[in-house]
Amino acid sequence: MADSISRRKFLSRVTLAIGGAIVAGWAVPAVAYIFGPARKSDRQREWRPLGSPNKVELGTPTLFKTRVERTTGWVTQEEEVSVYVFTEDGRNFTGLSNICTHLGCRVRWVDDQEAFFCPCHNATFGKDGRVASGPPPRPLDTFEIMVDGGQLLVNLEV
Amino acid sequence: MHEPIDQPASTTTWLDERTGSRGIYEAIFLRKIPKINWLFTLGSATLFVLVNQFVTDILLTVYYVPSVQDAYDTVIYIDSTLPMGWLVRGLHHWGATAMVALVILHMLRVIFHGAYKYPREITWVTGVLLLLLTFAFGFTGYLLPWDQEAYWATTVGTRILEVVPFFGDFLLRIARGGDELSAVTLSRFFGIHVWILPALTLLLVAVHLFLVVRIGISAPPKKED
Repeated sequence: MADSISRRKFLSRVTLAIGGAIVAGWAVPAVAYIFGPARKSDRQREWRPLGSPNKVELGTPTLFKTRVERTTGWVTQEEEVSVYVFTEDGRNFTGLSNICTHLGCRVRWVDDQEAFFCPCHNATFGKDGRVASGPPPRPLDTFEIMVDGGQLLVNLEV
Repeated sequence: MHEPIDQPASTTTWLDERTGSRGIYEAIFLRKIPKINWLFTLGSATLFVLVNQFVTDILLTVYYVPSVQDAYDTVIYIDSTLPMGWLVRGLHHWGATAMVALVILHMLRVIFHGAYKYPREITWVTGVLLLLLTFAFGFTGYLLPWDQEAYWATTVGTRILEVVPFFGDFLLRIARGGDELSAVTLSRFFGIHVWILPALTLLLVAVHLFLVVRIGISAPPKKED
């Protein structure tokens, strides 16, 4: 018979197929297991008090700090979140992140230069967060800010 | 050029010319064996579970942290948060039990067939050492989840050493790395479980398998044997 295969060939193919299935049985869960933590976590957003709006100087970004409890993997710990609050008129507030949009270094407001300065690659941002010089691809990230009951509240991922 | 032109060079030929892979393949998989039965697959089954233990152990150490603060939390994280983590840990957990059962059955088969006799004494001795290593794996691995079951099982298990006359106390301190079960014990058991035992096992398995292939397996004994 021309289209039949030998017993030996058949068995070796079956062995290969079963072996392949077993290897896949390890490999597929292994990939899911290793890449699992790379999934985007769906964090909730919450309004957190920062302090009195009176502390914000008109026209100058002012630094506020708050603590949030975050869980990464199996560790839950408090993290400090820094927010620069900026207002021109004392009524409309913007919150600016202090994380440089280039590679994630922390920026700080330098009073006499009227700019946020990033020490890593000498980037500067204006008081509204727009890129003034250097490599950052976009303005500083912003937070929603509202005033309620004489308190500045910031909308954060918790 | 002494290569015949009409013969297309296949990948296996290419590889064989450079590594001798065909000879190795034939020596391992196409070797002559006597007429045997399913009991002779127990060694291969053990080897398969051993491979499973290595694969899943490597995966577990990606997240497991052997410290008293983190050990239990990382095990729970693997079990309940990571995708397929329950499967990886389950395979390792049940594989460990299967391993102990299989090595014992494998050994019983060898005993009942008298397969430990000349010329297979070294194979037998390495096999017995591998049996002891399997127990050591089981004992050290049991502590690593650092839950109540693990803690007390190891407390009791190490305490058995204390009944050895004269230097029982010394042995107990070696096993625990101090007077009590502690962070030191956990760290030592982890190091032994994932580095020392696997290294010894690989070495002994290599010798064991080399001898099985080189000497060949024994036929089941006949009436007149």
